[in-house]
Amino acid sequence: MTNEPRDTRVDELRQQLRTLGYLDAGVDRFVLGPARRSRTPIALAGLASVRVGILAGILLGPAAAIGLDARLPGLVTGARDAAVLALYLGALFGAATTVVSLAVCLTARLLVGPSTVRARPGRARTIAVGAGALVSAASLAYLTLWWRTANTGWHAAGPTALALVLAVAISLLLGHAVRIATSGVLAAGASQGAIARGREPSWRGTMAAAALAFVAAAVLLVWTAPADAAADAAPPLTVVSTGLRVRVVAIDGVDEHVLQQLTGAGQLPAFTALLRGARAHLAAADTRDPARAWTTIATGEPPAVHGVTALETRRVAGVQGRIAGGAGTAGDLVRAATDLLRLTRPAIVRRDERRVKTLWEVAAGAGLRAAVVNWWASWPAPATGGVVLTDRAILRLERGGPLDAEIAPAALYDPLRRRWPALRAEAVARAARAFDAIADGPTAAVLKRSAELDATLAAVNAALPGPPADLDALYLPGLDIAQHALLGGSGEAALAPSALAARLDALRAYYAFLDGLLAPAFTPHEGELVVVVMEPGRVDTPGRGLLAIAGPAVVVATSVQAQAVDVAPTVVYALGVPVSRELTGHVLTSLFDPAFTQRYPERFVARYGRPSAHSEPRRGHPLDQEMLDRLKSLGYVR
Amino acid sequence: MSALPRFFADYQQRVSAELHRIVPPGEAAVERAMAYTALAPSKQVRAVLTLLCAELCGVDSAAAVPAAAAIELVHSASLILDDLPSMDDAPLRRGRPANHREFGESIAILAAFALLNLAYGTIARRYEPPLASRLASLASDAIGPAGLTGGQALDLLATEHQITFEALERIHRGKTGALFVAAATAGALVGGAAGEPVAALAAYAKNLGLAFQIVDDLLDVEGDPAQTGKAVREDARKTTFVSFSGVAGARQLALELCQTADRALAPFGGQADRLRELSAFVASRRL
Repeated sequence: MTNEPRDTRVDELRQQLRTLGYLDAGVDRFVLGPARRSRTPIALAGLASVRVGILAGILLGPAAAIGLDARLPGLVTGARDAAVLALYLGALFGAATTVVSLAVCLTARLLVGPSTVRARPGRARTIAVGAGALVSAASLAYLTLWWRTANTGWHAAGPTALALVLAVAISLLLGHAVRIATSGVLAAGASQGAIARGREPSWRGTMAAAALAFVAAAVLLVWTAPADAAADAAPPLTVVSTGLRVRVVAIDGVDEHVLQQLTGAGQLPAFTALLRGARAHLAAADTRDPARAWTTIATGEPPAVHGVTALETRRVAGVQGRIAGGAGTAGDLVRAATDLLRLTRPAIVRRDERRVKTLWEVAAGAGLRAAVVNWWASWPAPATGGVVLTDRAILRLERGGPLDAEIAPAALYDPLRRRWPALRAEAVARAARAFDAIADGPTAAVLKRSAELDATLAAVNAALPGPPADLDALYLPGLDIAQHALLGGSGEAALAPSALAARLDALRAYYAFLDGLLAPAFTPHEGELVVVVMEPGRVDTPGRGLLAIAGPAVVVATSVQAQAVDVAPTVVYALGVPVSRELTGHVLTSLFDPAFTQRYPERFVARYGRPSAHSEPRRGHPLDQEMLDRLKSLGYVR
Repeated sequence: MSALPRFFADYQQRVSAELHRIVPPGEAAVERAMAYTALAPSKQVRAVLTLLCAELCGVDSAAAVPAAAAIELVHSASLILDDLPSMDDAPLRRGRPANHREFGESIAILAAFALLNLAYGTIARRYEPPLASRLASLASDAIGPAGLTGGQALDLLATEHQITFEALERIHRGKTGALFVAAATAGALVGGAAGEPVAALAAYAKNLGLAFQIVDDLLDVEGDPAQTGKAVREDARKTTFVSFSGVAGARQLALELCQTADRALAPFGGQADRLRELSAFVASRRL
């Protein structure tokens, strides 16, 4: 007796005392606070439910923020975002739980009146326990399915087990809170001592219930998880060198029929030479959103998989990250309403909203030298992954100032910035030379502006220092910008036939400009494969996309039907990199010489894994607003 | 704090006056035995609790004095029976020889029964039937198998046996807690309270009663007979709270029980400060 007990012994006694109706737990004190004063059952139900809601908000807000971040990559970019998001979700879940708790309490009150409570207190306790169990089960199922949706089941056993433990703890606590709130409501005004709780479950009982709940949640998770859910770890990529370097040129806004007419008329010699090689007609698809369409091409996956569903996303007030904008009239209305209320602001889709790797990320991951210029949804540039001049790189080179992850590696910035005035001047002069002859001032201005951009991008791409990359990808938006400006507006229908014809002529001139600009790029160097991808762009046309490949190892003058998702695996194959079995697209082997395909048979790997979450350091002023303004002026966003 | 709160004296005086009025002043052995214990100087914690709860519920404490006296009579009877040779066989009570040592076992038993009857009679005579009925029912519950009698019976069975913590709690709940809860509830009922205030005061008394008993156990281990008025180490044959938690653990839990009791008083605000002083006294008492 003289020996001092260990604290754990006192803790056990304290817990036993609680189960015997002494002391009280913090949650009980908090939830039943309003019951310490005489109140009507409805008032007590309301006040206790608000407290249950507050408890739920505090518990579920951070948990839901973690889940939402997993589900919507790019939404949370830092601690501040996470805190604000947790606050929003806490308020949301708090309100929802308050409503649920109120409904449960009042339903219980309807089932068990004061006279029943006095006559059969055991029944009242049973009802309260049932209410708590119901809320616990509902909460656990919801949290489990939330995790499953965000993470595709058991992607990582450790974090998933931890998440389930957390979900069980939160659910049991919420169920307990609802149980004692219901008890309080049932006891309100019933009789003396009616609020006193019945025998509480022992800690052993609680632990057994928790273990059971954990097992149930795990079963639910496994049961509902997709059959193909597998470990996230990507196996290493081994390259069997084909001796080929690949240059990818992506041209947006190409109308297949116009291209045919012009090449048929001999007006585009570089394109004509290119199209003598292997070709694939890409099935018509909705290419009105460039970020969505070109991410599909870069990843070999449809939008539902790669996650970039729209160029224009929404930034939630107080949060740096974004959420994708929904499509359709309802989505537009919601966006307009939340913008009006300043709850959201328009933003441009980012790299970290993409869920799968692009072809240049795959190539870089396989140890090849990769470079990409101006592809959509490429900002912020990843810390590792070759040379990346993001869709904001030109804006940064134009504006100057410290980098905000627009260019990777950052060491490229200074040399490019030094060469920028000369590159830009040459691009402006080239555009002027091409379009000064066009009489219609506004049309000429549109074409020159587009041409300046394309020429600048091509010049910057050519100016990248270092040895030639194994994969070099360049995206040119100029034709799409010009075409959209001249033909995509609402006034197009009102144009006089002669004016419309003049604009079409002007656009044909742009094809010629591109032909001249890209002639060097279209001519394969030794050991180089030129892959040109063309899509119809934002203007509604019945045309299809086109993939043209020139260089060694391709079958000359062959033509196949294909999909946009086939481009990325085909390029990856040409580089000698294994193709992921997860990819939706397929390698267009029929475009390659049989000797080549026999020598380099298609090799596969289980998966490529997820893109790197680490970006280049962000030190400079973010160009969010400038980017938005630029895209507005170019007609990409309204 | 180890001394009684200052305000106690006034309340004790009123209860003592009532006890002097109702306990028969006769010279017969049984009457002297009744007065010997019922009128002996004591803390009268339970009776004062009744008065404080009545005041808190909005009536003059004078209205609750008969109920407080009845509670004190029940407590006195339980002490006489507790000390009997067939029970705890305690030699000392309230600084004096135990009742049976002074008057013999038979007279002591009779005095205890007389005090119990006097308690019921006081309730019946001094309150209107509806309230009297509820108070009598309350006293009956506190004395019966779920209260003092049941607790004492379990205690006897447990002597010199190892018992579980839950069994010990049942003993304490019966022997001490039941009368504490009855005292607080009686005061609230006399004050006209119902529902939540009664439940809050009952919760206060329940936690306070157990804390009181734990401190009793502690005093048995480390108390001074000159201060406590009863022999120490009397409980050596019994399993007590200290057996489970040790001295420091028991003191800590008694303190937490008193804090919990205080929290139950939240709806009464500052008006319940005297009850808070009472719990502070219980947590730190040395007598």
